[in-house]
Amino acid sequence: MRVFVDPDLCEGHSKCEKSAPAVFEVRDDDLSYVLLDPVPEEHREGVERAVRVCPRGAIAMTEDNE
Amino acid sequence: MTQLATPLDELNLNRADLFEQGQAHDVFRYLREHQPVHWNREGKRNVGFWNITKYEDVMFISRNPELFISSKDIGSAYPKDESEFDPETDDRGKHLIKMDPPRHVRVRRLVNKGFTPRAVNALEPHIREITNHILDDIEHKERTDFVLDVASQLPLAVICEMMGVPRKDWPYMFQLTNKVLGAADSEYQTDVPDEIRGTPEGAQETARQGMREMRQYFAAQLADRKGERKDDLLSLLVDSEDKGETLTDDEILWFAFLLIVAGNETTRNAISGGLHVLSEHPEQRKKLQDDMSLLPSAVEEILRWVSPVMHMARVATDDVEIRGTRIKKGERVVMWYPSVNRDEDIFADPYTFNITRDPNDHLAFGIGEHFCLGAGFARLELKVMFEELFRRFPDIQVDGEPERLRSNFIGGVKHLPVKLR
Ligand code: HEM
Ligand code: SF4
Repeated sequence: MRVFVDPDLCEGHSKCEKSAPAVFEVRDDDLSYVLLDPVPEEHREGVERAVRVCPRGAIAMTEDNE
Repeated sequence: MTQLATPLDELNLNRADLFEQGQAHDVFRYLREHQPVHWNREGKRNVGFWNITKYEDVMFISRNPELFISSKDIGSAYPKDESEFDPETDDRGKHLIKMDPPRHVRVRRLVNKGFTPRAVNALEPHIREITNHILDDIEHKERTDFVLDVASQLPLAVICEMMGVPRKDWPYMFQLTNKVLGAADSEYQTDVPDEIRGTPEGAQETARQGMREMRQYFAAQLADRKGERKDDLLSLLVDSEDKGETLTDDEILWFAFLLIVAGNETTRNAISGGLHVLSEHPEQRKKLQDDMSLLPSAVEEILRWVSPVMHMARVATDDVEIRGTRIKKGERVVMWYPSVNRDEDIFADPYTFNITRDPNDHLAFGIGEHFCLGAGFARLELKVMFEELFRRFPDIQVDGEPERLRSNFIGGVKHLPVKLR
């Protein structure tokens, strides 16, 4: 899967980082960065949770076959 | 199981007294179980609307801001006759909370720099100082009104300092925000003729007075900053620019209005509600006071429990189905936060106040496009307030019944008598 954070929406609330620390990193500019591309399957649960809890709805996922 | 005194097709949530007496949770529980998407009959002056009481449905609505728009106002009450809007105080589409994408996305980017978690947390020492000044003022007392002397003072000070409102004007700001959001409560209808005091007309006129005066006030402040910049948000907004876009004077004035109102009336009630619920659950309170590192999680539980903002409304821009019920284009949906924050499908033991609840994905700040811009401030204010309060007044006790606000929008407490030691 691939994961994207929309910088126009993200405001650095860090919920993504807490849900999937290996995938997201919130840096000094208060923006979340995706660390892995593609994201290995083992992180699916964490990423799905991040998508759900992100207060701004800033995270999108695509599947490899899309 | 719960029974309702009113048949479902008569049930009307557009009524402040339902909430004043604190009966709302029985109603919400009943609706979640029997009719989670419920048609609220129209009133004499207001259109009907859908009551939305389940968590997943509020997620769906909030995550689709083009299908469910905010620019047709965000309260449950909406007049059948649009001519009831008064041009001077009609703020639909004028500030963030009543604006839709794509404009909303642009304006939010112009104003959000000072509100990100990092920016807010840098202010912690200052917020602690303000908190201690507030507590100094009650140090010598035995008893006090916790809402007036403590809970309302911190958000007021923080927001006024942020906007650069001089200290002498803070009580005036307090009065105006009460008029805008507490308009339905006759306690705040201080400047209307006796004949309409306590009526819907009295409420409407009170809210309009508050809005007009606040706009005038900030127009003068803005003119002042244009002459000479200061170290405050108002000055920053004048110079704010993102990808070549700037804010107009009108946009700045409306944003100032929104911030003062949204920042004051909500956090105040989370603080008062927090002390109240902790006092009602002495074992949870003891657990917290024995280990204050539990506070961040306790703050989340307070927010879930109190849900200081009770609803936000949207209007559907197309026909859409929610939980098998057809919502027609142009119809209004009202999302009830106190209900979704006790949704049995999401929260284990939702009626248990548990300061170590995990996970706790409450929606007290909404979610998505309009997610509360001030959430970082609210969380920090709550944390610092309870740290300092319990440090200085570890034995503070609620000493009487809270007096609730008459409103179906803000879950408010007007007065809360406490014994300080
Ligand atoms: C415990 C305290 C608070 C609660 C429960 C709360 C709740 C909310 C909710 C539910 C919304 C979402 C509206 C929607 O989805 O339509 C919102 C939006 C907003 N809040 Fe708060 N709020 C609180 C404190 C604050 C503070 C302290 C500020 C200012 C410093 C603030 C400023 C705003 C603004 C500007 C918006 C509009 C955001 C937008 O539409 O993009 N709030 N708030
Ligand atoms: S949770 Fe959402 S808003 Fe917060 S940092 Fe992550 S992507 Fe950004």
